[in-house]
Amino acid sequence: MNTNQETFFETNDDSSLNNNSFGIRAKVIGVGGAGISLVDGLRFDNFDFVDNLIIDVDIKAVADSLASQKLTFGRRHTRGMGTGGDVNLGKRLAEEEKDKIRKELEGVDLIFLLAGLGGGVGGGAAPVVARLAREHGALVFAFTPLPFSWEKTRHAQAEECLSELRKHANAVIPLPNDSLLQMGGEDSTALECFAEAGRNVSRGIAAICNIVFKKGMIDVDFSYLRKVFSGRGGRTLFGYGKGSGTEGLREALRDLLVCPMLHMPDVSKAADILLIFIQGGTSLSMSGLQSVSKEIRDSFKAGEDVVFGAHVDENLGEEVKITILGVTSLDPLVPTADVAPVAQQVLELGKNPKQSHRSKLEITNTSPEKTSSMATRKKRGRKSDNKEQNTFFFMEAENQRGIFDDLPSRNMYEGEDLDVPSYLRRGVKIVI
Amino acid sequence: MSKIIGAVEIGTSCAKALVGEVTEGKSLNIVGKSVRKNEGMRKGEIVDFRKVASSVHAALEEAEKMSGTTVDSVYLAQTGAHIKGSFLRGSANVASPDGRVSVDDLQTAANEAKRKQPASGRSYVHHVRMPIQLDGRSVEDPVGMIGKKVELIYWSIEGDESAIRMNLDLAHNYGLEVADLILSSIASSTMVAGPDLRRAGVLVIDLGAGVTDLALYRNGNVAYTGVIPVGGDHLTGDLSMGLRVLEPYAEELKLEYGKAQSDPSDVDQQLWIIGNKTIGDRKVPRKTMTDIIHVRVVELFEIISKELGDLLDTSELGAGVLLTGGASRLPGIEQLASKVLGVPVTKANFPSGLGNELAQPENSTVLGLLHYGLEDHGLPGEQHKPTNSGFIKKLGGLIGI
Repeated sequence: MNTNQETFFETNDDSSLNNNSFGIRAKVIGVGGAGISLVDGLRFDNFDFVDNLIIDVDIKAVADSLASQKLTFGRRHTRGMGTGGDVNLGKRLAEEEKDKIRKELEGVDLIFLLAGLGGGVGGGAAPVVARLAREHGALVFAFTPLPFSWEKTRHAQAEECLSELRKHANAVIPLPNDSLLQMGGEDSTALECFAEAGRNVSRGIAAICNIVFKKGMIDVDFSYLRKVFSGRGGRTLFGYGKGSGTEGLREALRDLLVCPMLHMPDVSKAADILLIFIQGGTSLSMSGLQSVSKEIRDSFKAGEDVVFGAHVDENLGEEVKITILGVTSLDPLVPTADVAPVAQQVLELGKNPKQSHRSKLEITNTSPEKTSSMATRKKRGRKSDNKEQNTFFFMEAENQRGIFDDLPSRNMYEGEDLDVPSYLRRGVKIVI
Repeated sequence: MSKIIGAVEIGTSCAKALVGEVTEGKSLNIVGKSVRKNEGMRKGEIVDFRKVASSVHAALEEAEKMSGTTVDSVYLAQTGAHIKGSFLRGSANVASPDGRVSVDDLQTAANEAKRKQPASGRSYVHHVRMPIQLDGRSVEDPVGMIGKKVELIYWSIEGDESAIRMNLDLAHNYGLEVADLILSSIASSTMVAGPDLRRAGVLVIDLGAGVTDLALYRNGNVAYTGVIPVGGDHLTGDLSMGLRVLEPYAEELKLEYGKAQSDPSDVDQQLWIIGNKTIGDRKVPRKTMTDIIHVRVVELFEIISKELGDLLDTSELGAGVLLTGGASRLPGIEQLASKVLGVPVTKANFPSGLGNELAQPENSTVLGLLHYGLEDHGLPGEQHKPTNSGFIKKLGGLIGI
């Protein structure tokens, strides 16, 4: 378990060569209408090695897109038009032409799946694409917009698709439309809010790609990323923060901890697996990185599996950006092999689909092996481990869960879950 | 001769126990009282039986100790989102040849009304009797009067059998008999809305921690009861998520600074989350906090309005709407409720003579249990036996106790 990640702070110099990442292929795949617009909205600098593929049944939507690779399917049934929001149709059509989809997935190691789960293709075909990609041995991260709460039936349908997708993808990051209003400035327009959602996807993808593909101060190689995220994804968390000035790093941390994306229902408050990516100008200090990354790990109860990356970008000046992505593992014993055989993972999927909402706290892993390795880690502890870190003492474990999180059923009233804060469902912007 | 009776309300935030002494059959003295924090419940339903049991038993023990006596049977409050109410009707032709109504006729009508069994997995909690109808006229006690047909109408409340059973088991495990299971909303309205208000027409809204209980009276009789699974805890939950603070801090902020409607002074006002300026403490705008509460409260009263539909008729609600329960302490909630419901809303008062410590909005249910339990709700001619295990008889073998 203790790979080079453990020794980063001791051994890493300003730059490390990422030879292992050579030849890794990544692909962004947009499925369905919302997926296509997200792909078109992505803004990457210097990411030529990431291909963009869009998949849809709607020929016109595909034709209008700017993506470099395009795939249409289901033509025989829909004559090139949409599915009309029919998830089952979207799923069936994708299954029928899965060989066509498979061809596009060959040789790809890392897949970013973007799909709006309220639609027929996004909701129906995206889980199929994720499954096929996993069968090819790819690591699948999915970013999925969810309809507003007030779009009652569509919202309910999207939640079903979400749990289906969670069975297949390594990590699914839901982007509820309800959260749109909580983003951006105080009087953001609708357009700005949607653009902000698109930026979230870019942030997530960029964080992962930067760590794996670009040479920076602290990186990890792809096989490590793959090992850490090899389990099935449970609940996830995704957040970002930025700061600037002399206290930029701390300011970014404070901003991160109040990020609206981390304060939505169904967002995990703890992460078994955590990816932290910090970008900053030349003034980024080693001790600062060390203490901030530790605080992030503590705040989200991260275990051994932390992917940490830090890059210096001279263009940022005094600005610091932090992006985190975490997953609550569903498999208490993460396979020790580099990657679990795909067939075995697929077999396990069928076993207990109801577990897709199980949280970290219920399956606290206290296998002797793990505790002993924790102990050695403690013993080896770097200076900051001993330093008193009571900044977040008020974030105790039992308080980390949403207040109604422990209830088995949802509190539905006319298609809305009353346990979800009213301000989120009613689109009232909260300024803090 | 005096008699000891007990009342237990297992609420979402607290378990409450009262011990009352009835002297001369009528006057009631409260001789024991205890409130214990309850952490095993969510929205009026038990999620952790053992936690609930320990707080209920601790509350009972303390109340008994305080009173210096022991209690044999208690009135127990029941609520929860699973509770539903409906009218049941039964009638009987007057049997005697001279046309005089007998107690047996009433019994026949009552049996017919209660003949309808709830669906499987459900049981009756409570039957609230309406005035007896003799040939279409409302009569207090028709026994001995001349007529052709008596009709009985009950507002019958049913709920999830396992939830009710767990509630009963909590009393049984302490070695107590349950004299009667009483719907929480009926209990609290007994306390805060006297007979004159009920005759004028009144809606009592008991805003608890986990759920909101509703009871609507028209012409002195229950016309509707309902439970909405939203309560004060939802305010705390919303604040916790919206302000990005932990639940205990959100709860404190709510109690200290919460209000239903923002006013101009809130702008630019900042509140410390923890208050002692510890590292990690930060400020939140008071306006934001009020906004979060405001939308939740508006939504709650909108749901209440939707649930009541045509029953929410100003002309039938002479006494307006009364708010009680712990969450009714929220400043400004009655004005906001009045705006949403379109009916005059006031905070409920308690009858005089209660000590200050008891006359608090969160106590209306547990106090109401004793008062409701003391009143005679049986049929005329039926013997009133408050300490008999009436509830167990009512359910018969249905839940097999």
